[in-house]
Amino acid sequence: MSNKVLMIDGDRISGNEVRAQNVLAVTAIANIVKTSFGPIGLDKMLIDNIGSIVVTNDGATILQKIDIEHPAAKILVQLSELQDQEVGDGTTTVVILAAELLKRANELVARKVHPTVIISGFRLACTEAIKYINETLAVKVETLPKDFIINIAKTSMSSKTINDDSDFFSKIVIEAISRVKTIDYKGDVKYPINAINILKAHGKSAKESILVEGYALNCTVASEGMPKRIQGAKIAFLDFNLAKTKMKLGQKVVVTNVNDLEAIRDRENDIVKERISLIIKSGANVVLTTKGIDDLCLKYFVEAGCMAVRRCKKEDLKRIAKACGGTVLITLANLEGEESFDTTALGVADEVVQERLADDELIIVKNSNKKLASIILRGANELMLDEMERSIHDSLCIVKRTLESGTVVPGGGAVESALSIYLDNIAATMGSRKQLAISEFAESLLVVPKQLAVNAALDASDLVSKLKAYHHAAQTDPSKKSYAYSGLDLFNNKVRNNLEAGVLEPAIAKIKCIKFATESAITILRIDDKITLNPREQQGGDHEGHGH
Amino acid sequence: MNQPVFVLNTNSKRENQREAQQGIFLAVKSVASIIKTCLGPKAMLKMILDPMGTTVVTNDGNAILREIDVTHPAAKSMIELSRAQDENVGDGTTSVVILAAEVLASSELFIEKKIHPHYIIKAFRMALDDSLSIVDQYSVAIDLKNRPEVLKVVQSCIGTKFIGKWGSLMCNLALDAVMTVHIQEEDGRSEIDIKRYAKVEKIPGGDISDCRVIRGVMLNKDVTHPKMKRMIKNPRIVLLDCSLEYKKGESDTMVDITNEDDFSALLKIEEEYVQRICEDIIKLKPDLVFTEKGVSDLAQHFFVKKGITCLRRLKKSENNRIARISGATIVSRTDELQESDIGTGCGLFEIRKIGDEYFTFLEDCKDPKACTILLRGASKDILNEVERNLADALNVARNIVLDPRLVPGGGAIEMALSQALSEKSKSIEGLHQLPYKALAQSLECIPKILAQNCGANTVKLLTELRAKHATNPTENYTYGVDGDNGTIVDMKQLGVWDTHSVKVQTLKTAIESACTMLRVDHIASAASKQ
Repeated sequence: MSNKVLMIDGDRISGNEVRAQNVLAVTAIANIVKTSFGPIGLDKMLIDNIGSIVVTNDGATILQKIDIEHPAAKILVQLSELQDQEVGDGTTTVVILAAELLKRANELVARKVHPTVIISGFRLACTEAIKYINETLAVKVETLPKDFIINIAKTSMSSKTINDDSDFFSKIVIEAISRVKTIDYKGDVKYPINAINILKAHGKSAKESILVEGYALNCTVASEGMPKRIQGAKIAFLDFNLAKTKMKLGQKVVVTNVNDLEAIRDRENDIVKERISLIIKSGANVVLTTKGIDDLCLKYFVEAGCMAVRRCKKEDLKRIAKACGGTVLITLANLEGEESFDTTALGVADEVVQERLADDELIIVKNSNKKLASIILRGANELMLDEMERSIHDSLCIVKRTLESGTVVPGGGAVESALSIYLDNIAATMGSRKQLAISEFAESLLVVPKQLAVNAALDASDLVSKLKAYHHAAQTDPSKKSYAYSGLDLFNNKVRNNLEAGVLEPAIAKIKCIKFATESAITILRIDDKITLNPREQQGGDHEGHGH
Repeated sequence: MNQPVFVLNTNSKRENQREAQQGIFLAVKSVASIIKTCLGPKAMLKMILDPMGTTVVTNDGNAILREIDVTHPAAKSMIELSRAQDENVGDGTTSVVILAAEVLASSELFIEKKIHPHYIIKAFRMALDDSLSIVDQYSVAIDLKNRPEVLKVVQSCIGTKFIGKWGSLMCNLALDAVMTVHIQEEDGRSEIDIKRYAKVEKIPGGDISDCRVIRGVMLNKDVTHPKMKRMIKNPRIVLLDCSLEYKKGESDTMVDITNEDDFSALLKIEEEYVQRICEDIIKLKPDLVFTEKGVSDLAQHFFVKKGITCLRRLKKSENNRIARISGATIVSRTDELQESDIGTGCGLFEIRKIGDEYFTFLEDCKDPKACTILLRGASKDILNEVERNLADALNVARNIVLDPRLVPGGGAIEMALSQALSEKSKSIEGLHQLPYKALAQSLECIPKILAQNCGANTVKLLTELRAKHATNPTENYTYGVDGDNGTIVDMKQLGVWDTHSVKVQTLKTAIESACTMLRVDHIASAASKQ
């Protein structure tokens, strides 16, 4: 091979060979995740080398957990991660779509169409598709019945383990999201889902999961003598140690008068005592700190009837502080160099309570009208809880995207088949080789409804042709416009109007999905040479693109 | 293409659909088969040798599974079930695993027939919802004030255990302990914190019948100075968590002594300090001083002079318990001691010698909200087993106090459920019917194994029982298997009851986990984190 000529210490493959390899690798990846796709998809069980187990249906999680070697396959893993970060759902779809695009592109290359032509065709098709979604397929949420948002949540849960209780969980999700709704200074409505804390406790059943109107902390009160329930709480948020004051490392005090030693000792105790009395005097009856509280300080809190919680997570504290109107204090020192505790730094909450959950205890900051929400998940075992958490997170993301973007599209393969028909028509108007690329793109999109049907063990070819016929009618016959919302009904093996059936997804998720899939397919398609250096260099594959 | 493409790491193992599902079924069944014989009054013990070489002898489902090292992921998750059950309700750890395995096994047939797991799961969920409402229907509430009644229930729950012989004694212990630590809050919520306030102390030696609940606290400690009093009635108690000796400050301090007088002055200050803190304490005239830290010889000297007994190096948890029984507050600086910090709730302080060791007893408290359960037994192994069983009994007692509803035991409720669900399955349309019915039948495994374990004729017994339930479901629902002699009896007469909360939890956990397992169609070993 050419190695000898180029003097490369390693392997080099190029041209069709590398393309075929890439496609093979990408298809293999898609094959792993494709059975977890759709409402009738199943889960994967993954075991890592220390034996811990993950059971999941989430494409991004599956791909992260398996050990993938091939560089092109790794691109797909990154792709699903990207989708996870940007949208939070549709991580499986994006991988399947990208793999299908590549497979078809490779066939075109085999028919001597140059990759750059295919790339520009795909680019054009992608732009057209997004335009069509935005202009024609997307439905403004204002025009939909009120319960549409529940349907959105349900659709996102449909493929997950909580599907059977989706009525129950969608309510929790919607309620949690609506509790954290905020309007920023520009007047935009935001839904910071980070403000929703998801806690897991095994035991009981999934249906006994609860939404807490407040924030649940996985901590306990510092001393048993403290009250376990405080109503009308005034909360102090601290980010420093309440322990005997100690000088920093390496500092030394040299005492000449022996009595001074005693004075230093006393002062050490008194400094923290003064700080605590400042806090208590300010009226605080709940003290949350990210650091520790020395046993010797607990007594003051116990006597004042304060609840003190140590070692809270900093991000939790920040969120609670924000919602309750308090400030997280790093020090008590003020600008004059004195120590004081400003009462404005206190947050207020209706109630702070310690509750027992399974074998653990939780601190719950309850605040009925503030921007806090926590979901406490229950379930048979850790595996199930972890998967429930991922599903709830996906669902929260989707609902957030919908509410922020304000447009939805019907699910169940409706968008993909509509686009397929539309792009096919566009392809027909193209008088160049791009036509081939666009029509392959159109064909690739159909992998989504096909895979849905295959997973449900239905006749995919028959069902997809029916679906296509409906969409064709919708785009040619103005009287049948509502057919544009036709999607698959996998349980009854037929085509139905998914807009009415309430199978909905946010338009933004679909758009991002198509965009990302196209981009990554193009990235891989551009590769025409793969050089693997020998391990001495400690480097994996290196890709080189050749633009013409 | 002239070379193979490695997409996945070649070392990783993958199992796809059929392999994966079969592996799961096999793993789950074998886990259940280990502990099958541990169900019922005629349960057998297991002896497990752990890697450290210590032996565990038990018939507690959770304790057995905890010690077993399994590799199959599905088996691991089964073991976790029993742990979850233990942490939540503390009982039924064996039956939850058996039931989950049976439920899963019942679906195997349908998987082989290529029915999509989705339908099976849906049917199982429907059955779960229905069975929960049926259990509610069949449950009866008991009066917590009726002690013999409550006792009987606790007894039936731990009847299967090793301590069966001393059953009534253990039940009394458990019930006493739970009643002692039970706190009713104003808003009607009950708090029962067994973990913190009902401490189990094991002292080898003596006889199991010597076990008792001390309405107070027992510590494995002796007084610090032999001349201190060893018995005090109505002591005034001071609790400290600071040391009664001279301790350097936290900051790094250094003293340069240049002249001789300074050195003695320094020593004097240290002495004066100890004297001062002792005087702070003595001022309040306590009889007993407990501290979590050390006590210097000098401080002991002062206390002996004033007739104060002192104990050192308590654990924080012990200190908390003493605070709870005596009403004292734990103080960390002696100069802040007040009259209100002194605890007077304890009636008797006494040091007793048991075996070779001295133990401190704080008893006869006015209103103890904490207690110690003292266990005696011939050997450490026996004591450990008794402790595990007592923990179950404590949990049962707690569950009853929190939710005083009961369901008939001895497999009666499972049979009744099975009967009711089979009946209901006839009205279910579509693919869901068969799995629903299979689940109903799998519930029969509990009475079946009960019968098996006591050596009865399983088939005869089970058909008889099924007929009994079928003829009059609303009346005969209390009929179950008498696990002692293998006959069918009315559980109402035999007095075998289970708590509602445990049964409900068992059903939920078993069925939900079976559903999770059913959803798996692919097993892959995941990336190694390096």
